[in-house]
Amino acid sequence: MPKILDFLKLVVRIAQVRPRFLLGYAIVLVAILAGLMAPLFSAYSPVTADSSHFLQAPSRAHWFGTDAVGMDIFTRTIYAPRIDLTIAVTGTLLSALVGSFIGAFVGYFSAGRGVRVHLSYAVMRAADVLQAFPVFVFAIALVASFGQSIETVVLAIAFVNAPIYLRLMRAQVMAIREMRYVEASLVAGLSDFKTILRHIIPNAMTPVLAQLSINVGWAILLTAGLSFVGAGVRAPTPEWGSMIAMGFQNMVTGQWWPSVFPGLALAVTVFGFSLVGLSIEVFADPIKRRALVRDLEIARRRAPPAAMSGPEGVLTAGEAP
Amino acid sequence: MSDDRGKPGYAGRRRFLKGVAAAGAATILPDTIGSRETFAQTPSNTLVIAAPATPQGLDIEFDVSLGSIDTLGALYEYMLAYEKIPDPQNPEVLREDTAVHPDKKYGLALRGRLATDWEISNDGRKATFKLREGVRSNWGNLFSAEDVKWTWDRKFNLKGQGIFQTSVLGLKHPDQVKIEGPMVVSFNLEKPNPILLKQQCNLANPIYDSKKIKEVGGTDDPWGVKFLQNESAGFGPYRLQQIIRGQMAVFQARDDYWDAKPYMKTVIMREVPTSAARLSLLQGGAVDIAQFLQPREYMTLRGNPNVTFDAVNASYIIWLELNAKIKPFDNVLVRQAMNYALPQEEIIRTIYYGLADPEKAPMPYIYPMANSSYYRYGYNLEQAKRLLAQAGYPNGFKTTLSYNAGDPTQEPIALLYQTALRQIGVDIELEKLPAGVFYENVTKRQKPIIFYLDSPWTPDPGYSMFLYFHSKSYVDYSNYYNPKVNQMIEQGLETLDDSLRKTIYDEVQKIIMEEAPWGFIAYPKYALARKTNLKGFTYYTSNNLRFQDFRRA
Repeated sequence: MPKILDFLKLVVRIAQVRPRFLLGYAIVLVAILAGLMAPLFSAYSPVTADSSHFLQAPSRAHWFGTDAVGMDIFTRTIYAPRIDLTIAVTGTLLSALVGSFIGAFVGYFSAGRGVRVHLSYAVMRAADVLQAFPVFVFAIALVASFGQSIETVVLAIAFVNAPIYLRLMRAQVMAIREMRYVEASLVAGLSDFKTILRHIIPNAMTPVLAQLSINVGWAILLTAGLSFVGAGVRAPTPEWGSMIAMGFQNMVTGQWWPSVFPGLALAVTVFGFSLVGLSIEVFADPIKRRALVRDLEIARRRAPPAAMSGPEGVLTAGEAP
Repeated sequence: MSDDRGKPGYAGRRRFLKGVAAAGAATILPDTIGSRETFAQTPSNTLVIAAPATPQGLDIEFDVSLGSIDTLGALYEYMLAYEKIPDPQNPEVLREDTAVHPDKKYGLALRGRLATDWEISNDGRKATFKLREGVRSNWGNLFSAEDVKWTWDRKFNLKGQGIFQTSVLGLKHPDQVKIEGPMVVSFNLEKPNPILLKQQCNLANPIYDSKKIKEVGGTDDPWGVKFLQNESAGFGPYRLQQIIRGQMAVFQARDDYWDAKPYMKTVIMREVPTSAARLSLLQGGAVDIAQFLQPREYMTLRGNPNVTFDAVNASYIIWLELNAKIKPFDNVLVRQAMNYALPQEEIIRTIYYGLADPEKAPMPYIYPMANSSYYRYGYNLEQAKRLLAQAGYPNGFKTTLSYNAGDPTQEPIALLYQTALRQIGVDIELEKLPAGVFYENVTKRQKPIIFYLDSPWTPDPGYSMFLYFHSKSYVDYSNYYNPKVNQMIEQGLETLDDSLRKTIYDEVQKIIMEEAPWGFIAYPKYALARKTNLKGFTYYTSNNLRFQDFRRA
């Protein structure tokens, strides 16, 4: 219990010196809760058309108004994270998993001689080819080839993001494989495979974790973009991109609400994930973390004595793992 | 001398450049500084059109896309045309008089264009056309019977869309079109055909300048396929000045045109893909016409003194192809149930804002002999449920509805329909297809339900019925097959007596309504958003513009 209290105090102190981190986590939390608890907030169905209430302006009955076929925009906006976040998080995790795993092996075997080196080289060139295509065009091509479904969008996101993690992990592993504890593991008789799994990957994950949150934001944008051009999820599934697409034709005729509200939700959520990514980067990077600790210390000194009893040692400027 | 006039870059160059500069400025200025002064800067005899697309091709044999069909009536001349009458609902607009007129020659209100006189033999198997003398093409060549003969020979040889034109007339061999004299040509049929004269007005049957095409094509390209991709060789009132696909096409009025000279000397067709942008350009005064706006966008023009729109009853039909070869739509009862669950009135009110009428006949309601009295459906979910239960689907079924991403009206219609069907247990998944893929899917006939928007250009029940419901037609996209309907359609296409034809086609419409191969949705109106001072809009059943109709008030 005291540990939890200490942790909460630390969170409050961090929020005081880095309020944007708190904002990021709050946005992400709200988006997740909105998706999970959407039925509690709205009595309308997110997928049922109602032609007697089409294109109604925001009102008490319809907080965000209705779209061209009478669906409630507020309801659809709060249901949308179910799809957007699920696709983005699943796609990003999948890309991180696959990309990091392959990247670890490529990094480990990228020096020396033999078939494995050539294979590593081939994998990196294949990644070059993948990354040479514009991400969005590539994703559209993938969805067009494999058919329009949520699974395909997840796969497309995983596919276009995997090379990022591959490169990230490879760079990390190339540095770590020279460490003494890796040599010790090999000398102790562990195979390359086990050494990579047990000692290298866990120690190389920090930048991957920081990248994850940023990538979730990108993935949400990509999902929305695919839906906007008609290559994403199928109508009438509530999804921010497809909602913007359905509504943007009405902007010129004065009905701004079908596009603007989902657009705002999209922008704020992506912003939230970027802030979360930024916070993870600060926590994971020793130099940035040291700056944060310094700021916390300055804040502690400036604060009145009653507020100075902060936890010690929970967050230290320590060394890289 | 006259040959030079047809060449791109002929002396009209200075005038052309002026026109382009004015139109370019007119297009850019309102966007940048919001000026309305460009109204005064655009020459009054220059027509600027904001179109969804520039012509993809200029050869009707291979291209019937939107931009292309708008150019045909300007670049080419036809043998005959319908007389024009004021539209009954909008007298400022003219339209073709396509009705049956027992008091007129062959029951039709036709006027001569390249043909000055026409006679049909008593047995109805031979039509002879006397041709107009002194007509020159945009390349300066004199029109003759050779051009008509060559035009129809081209259809037989290229086997593009023209082969449908030959088959619907019952022409089986090029020799059935004969040159009877330098300025006389005849069509010789095995059986009488009631649409022989009507087909001479069809937008798909322009007459080519055969001399020019033979001259440029030589032996490599005898039918001018390559030449006509980027050029025109016709007897119409305009010549193509320039085409930059994806950007603009410019047309110049011909000084040597045989008939009344067009008011609009230069016509600039600008490609503006989004309807919202076309609307903005019109509202800003940068263009004279904004084509194909969304129904709601037309409503925003009300109250603006500088712009207006005309909406007229048209030959358009939008429907759902209920694929008769895919379960459960092979069952008539299911197809009927799908029609009872179609919220026609809601669609017209919500999606079309009244710019459409409910579809109650299997052909355009503006055409002679269309009969709406056999429409038996209407939004009735209880009846739909009963029919589904009778068909063996008491709990409904699951299927897919495919629609065109390029048509913004189709998705909302699909959503309304999906909501209605959900109430009778039918779960439809919506499949949004990019425009190119969409048409490929329509022609493949492998989707259970797919939207289709079309119009049969010839105002005739036989033509329409053959096109969509004869199992040998390539446009029978619902895979509908009824041998009795086939036989009656053919019989109607061999009968000259209009009262007998009406009896036949009444029966055909009754059967089709009963068997419901389509989900009958709506007849969208043809609407044209224009500057208020632009007059002369004429509606054609081919749903295209003809630049020569327009003038300034």
